[in-house]
Amino acid sequence: MARNTILQVLALVLGLGMMTACGLVSPEASFTPTHNYALGAGRPICTECHSNDLAKGALKTYATFDHTPAFVKNHRFQATQDSNTCAVCHAPSFCIDCHGGKVPMKPAKLLADRPDRDTPHRGDFLTLHKIEGKLDPSSCYRCHGRANNDQCRACHR
Amino acid sequence: MKRHTYVALLATLLSATAWGQEVSLYGTTMAEIWKQNIPGSEQATYTAATQYLGIDATKLGSDNLSLHLFGWGVKDFGDSSPTIYNGSPNGSYSGGYLSFGYLQYRFDQANAEIKAGRFAINQGTGFEQVDGVSARTDLRGGFSISAFGGRPVLYHTQDLSSQLNYDFQKDFIFGTRLAWRLPQVTEIGLSYLEDGTHAAQNLPQPTTEDFTRRQVGLDLLLTPTTSFDLRGRTVFDVAKHPEVAPGAPAHNDIAEHDYSATWRIGSQVAVTGNFAERNFFAYFAGSNMPSLFRQDDHDMFRGWGGKVTWTTEANFQLVGDYRHTHRETFGDSNRLGGEMRWTFNEKAVLFGLGGHIVNAVDTKFVDPSTPYLSLSYKEARIWTLVTKGQFSASLDGILQRYDSGNPYLAGVQNVYEVVGSLGYQATANIKVSGDVTYGTNPVAKHETQGLLKAEYRFGSAKKGGQ
Repeated sequence: MARNTILQVLALVLGLGMMTACGLVSPEASFTPTHNYALGAGRPICTECHSNDLAKGALKTYATFDHTPAFVKNHRFQATQDSNTCAVCHAPSFCIDCHGGKVPMKPAKLLADRPDRDTPHRGDFLTLHKIEGKLDPSSCYRCHGRANNDQCRACHR
Repeated sequence: MKRHTYVALLATLLSATAWGQEVSLYGTTMAEIWKQNIPGSEQATYTAATQYLGIDATKLGSDNLSLHLFGWGVKDFGDSSPTIYNGSPNGSYSGGYLSFGYLQYRFDQANAEIKAGRFAINQGTGFEQVDGVSARTDLRGGFSISAFGGRPVLYHTQDLSSQLNYDFQKDFIFGTRLAWRLPQVTEIGLSYLEDGTHAAQNLPQPTTEDFTRRQVGLDLLLTPTTSFDLRGRTVFDVAKHPEVAPGAPAHNDIAEHDYSATWRIGSQVAVTGNFAERNFFAYFAGSNMPSLFRQDDHDMFRGWGGKVTWTTEANFQLVGDYRHTHRETFGDSNRLGGEMRWTFNEKAVLFGLGGHIVNAVDTKFVDPSTPYLSLSYKEARIWTLVTKGQFSASLDGILQRYDSGNPYLAGVQNVYEVVGSLGYQATANIKVSGDVTYGTNPVAKHETQGLLKAEYRFGSAKKGGQ
């Protein structure tokens, strides 16, 4: 079955190549891969500079990417649809601070000098997780369900 | 893939940096020391050093080819360290991990790109770490397509001999997403994920632990006006499962609904509502810790709530939020609170405070020998971050107040932690800082931690770390 799946992938890659040949690929130029300058501390509001134009590539208004409290909390939606737009400002290591398959310390400790960032597990989360884990284990699962759970097994065997 | 194969691939990738016209090396070196005073135990001191290191090399022969590497290593110098890294049960520990290492080719047209190596990918149904290949491109008519495939990165939670079945089942991962965009109005994506090809029921000797997943996802963004957007996704479990016993309820094939809508009222107020529902049998499929994330077909989570954000032109932000949650096996909870955030002097001074109340039912009483606890608590937080010239300072305090009678709190009702940090930006590329943390918790009556950190970046490649 694995061999079949590999063949499916190869077929897909071949298909992409054929699409290029057939002219199905968009003729638009790729957007710039990096932002012109680094942004300072705090949550950036894209529309402060970009008014309400459409972001190239994403074809959405810049307001869609304003880093409001709701955006920070729900950024999984934008990351699913526009990860290459995220990459204009964020290097992959930015995501890995929290979403690494294995991390040596909790993000709140790594970024203790950045209290403005909404890093998970600030304070004594070891105690709090006994409550939050019962109220909603699916929120734990996002990061610890299939990876990054070496420390869980100390108690959860 | 064997270890020496990984080493050879890593060496090849590293040697490729020699071809880069723009190469950056960035990292963070951290030294920690912390003391614990646990009632009934002798006071203990622990020390550890952690190194994060990354390399970005661009223009590798071609302007469009780049290399990205990032990983970390840790050495625990404690004489009798607790379980801090990788569940080391005792004694000192050293370890490391390659978070990602891949070559990327970015085309000048259609935002097309190809990656090869170890990378993380967030596409459609999940966030995956893969040793393999990925590709994406925009198509004509607003369509785009992406796909990845390879070997899933394995995360062992037990000794290897007891996880042979996990390794055997998770032999291959493949995902693809087809999307369509109407500029400024909508994006609809359809995705498929197959993680592992040897399902437990198909093994020569079927087992109870199934580490594989097959999922179809539908994601949506709808912005009918510039002041309103609806986004979210629904994930379906399409794996074949053993037949349920006659009379038993059928498995729910919908793993997740997760939706959020935002309505912007003028330039200062935004109202956000969200709804999520997750059925644990389908949602927890593929967990490498099935003992913790149990695929209980009688258990599910449903939550809904809202957030109101008011942002003034004077850089003051006020947020109020409410969330109701329901878990089938534990009951309901209500979370209510708010946050305030000020930004002064061109972001040189940031200040915030917030508080939340969680009102929840108790855990279910099973029998007198099984402790049960209140799930209600209150939380307050206050913080500030000040930057002046090359210096920066921050202070962050958080307090959690639990209901009395909780058997896990060892008589402690108020748990708090205060973190103070001082930093000095020595040059544009080097920053040194130190953090001191003090707190009390049910495990340690007093806990003090110190952390020294050096962050640096050398080279000419743009971006990285932010």
